[in-house]
Amino acid sequence: MSGIGTGYDVTPTTYSPEGRIFQVEYAARSVENSSTAIGIRVSDGVIFGVEKKIISKMLVKGSNRRVGSVGDHIGASIAGLTADGRRIIKQANSEAKSYKDLTSEAIPLNVLVDRISSFVQMHTLYASIRPFGCAVMFGSYNEKDGAQLFLVEPSGVSFGYYGCAIGKAKQSAKTEIEKLNLSELTCREAIKQVAKIIYTIHDESKDKEMELEMSWICKESGGKHELVPDDLIAEAEQFAKDNTVSTNILNFDNI
Amino acid sequence: MTSSAFGFDRHISVFSPEGRLYQIEYVYTAIRAAGNTTIGVRGEETVCVVTQKKVPDKLTDPTTVTSMFTITNNIGCAMTGIRADMKTAVQRLRYFAHRFEYENGFEIPVSHLARKMADFFQLFTQHAFMRPLGLAITLIGIDEEVGPQLYKIEPSGYFLGYKATCVGQKEQEGTNFLEKKIKKETKLNKDETIQLAISSLQSVLGVDFRPSDIEVGIVEKDSPKFTLLSEELIDSHLTAISERD
Repeated sequence: MSGIGTGYDVTPTTYSPEGRIFQVEYAARSVENSSTAIGIRVSDGVIFGVEKKIISKMLVKGSNRRVGSVGDHIGASIAGLTADGRRIIKQANSEAKSYKDLTSEAIPLNVLVDRISSFVQMHTLYASIRPFGCAVMFGSYNEKDGAQLFLVEPSGVSFGYYGCAIGKAKQSAKTEIEKLNLSELTCREAIKQVAKIIYTIHDESKDKEMELEMSWICKESGGKHELVPDDLIAEAEQFAKDNTVSTNILNFDNI
Repeated sequence: MTSSAFGFDRHISVFSPEGRLYQIEYVYTAIRAAGNTTIGVRGEETVCVVTQKKVPDKLTDPTTVTSMFTITNNIGCAMTGIRADMKTAVQRLRYFAHRFEYENGFEIPVSHLARKMADFFQLFTQHAFMRPLGLAITLIGIDEEVGPQLYKIEPSGYFLGYKATCVGQKEQEGTNFLEKKIKKETKLNKDETIQLAISSLQSVLGVDFRPSDIEVGIVEKDSPKFTLLSEELIDSHLTAISERD
């Protein structure tokens, strides 16, 4: 059995004796090392929540965005190498523009995701370019198709989801998401739940301070991708802090 | 200095001193490692292809998980292997098929499409800059002149027409099973074709399917449009199979 770094892992053009493409698997590890991002699809829209690490007190709040828009009707959220993620969002915008130029219509989400998956997968075929070290979630809401949420992984595989979590704490986040009754939630209620999940999975003892970034595409935002308004975020954060059990074992208040 | 002296014969598509292409052999392993099995059966007037549908987690929308693709209205395929490569192969098949129709004015014959795709796959086995796609394609369609067609295209560029074929994790077991069931004089009608494909897959995997565990695609002479069977239809076939046994 070939393990890590046994010579079959230098380019994406090499299969290992077990039929694995290690470079693509390593790219997926980049995503697993990143801080967590979650996306959920509820009855009237899609919400993204990102756990942003504050690496320096000198950073202006809101900088280093992990969400982006494609056109104005599709939202995207990144986990992994953010710079790679921005490249993907740029490509998505380019696809959306060329689709609109051709058809005069906004690109449907499943068409966009199909093209982006192929774009990402193409980078796993050649020795001269490396795979993307990020996973990107895409979401949209319109009257005709309702809410839709997709995830594109570094291998180029994409699926539609009801709820999705990527990054370090994705397992715990997924467990929390499964507890929710997604089809009955509205966006307003869901914002609080998303904030609560992010606060729950954030490990205060191990990680640095975090900033919560949330965006939505829903009925309330008129089908446009926007950052969740500040007052709603504040309300959600309060709800989260009130309802999250601290993961710290040592809590000096109780001793 | 031969590249095998540097040990590259396992890393890129060059010959080893024994005349083997290791990278091609590893691609076949990749298909088996992907974990799914596909079975195709050709009857008198119907061709049927069945593949497993595994939905990775509860939160995934199952309507977006599929390994069956329409190439033209009347030609369809099941892909077995690395999921990320499936879209690339489908795009290429569609391109070949529609280009042919545009240039020649009639629908591409299934055997011709299979050959073109096989030649495309072969390119990667000779050029070092790109890896072969980790998939096997089971292509089905009704040819205007020759009738029902079933082709399997392998990543090495090898392709053949079949009466019945199996590819994927349980390839060997499936092939052995089908060889016992299909003799030279075997003539299968529509229901027999579909039920043979489904029951072979059930037997080889050792499980009883629910309708949501598999995808079934068919083409038939009277209605050559490539269609996926609905869950109700799959259920009725599964019931017929279990009542027979």
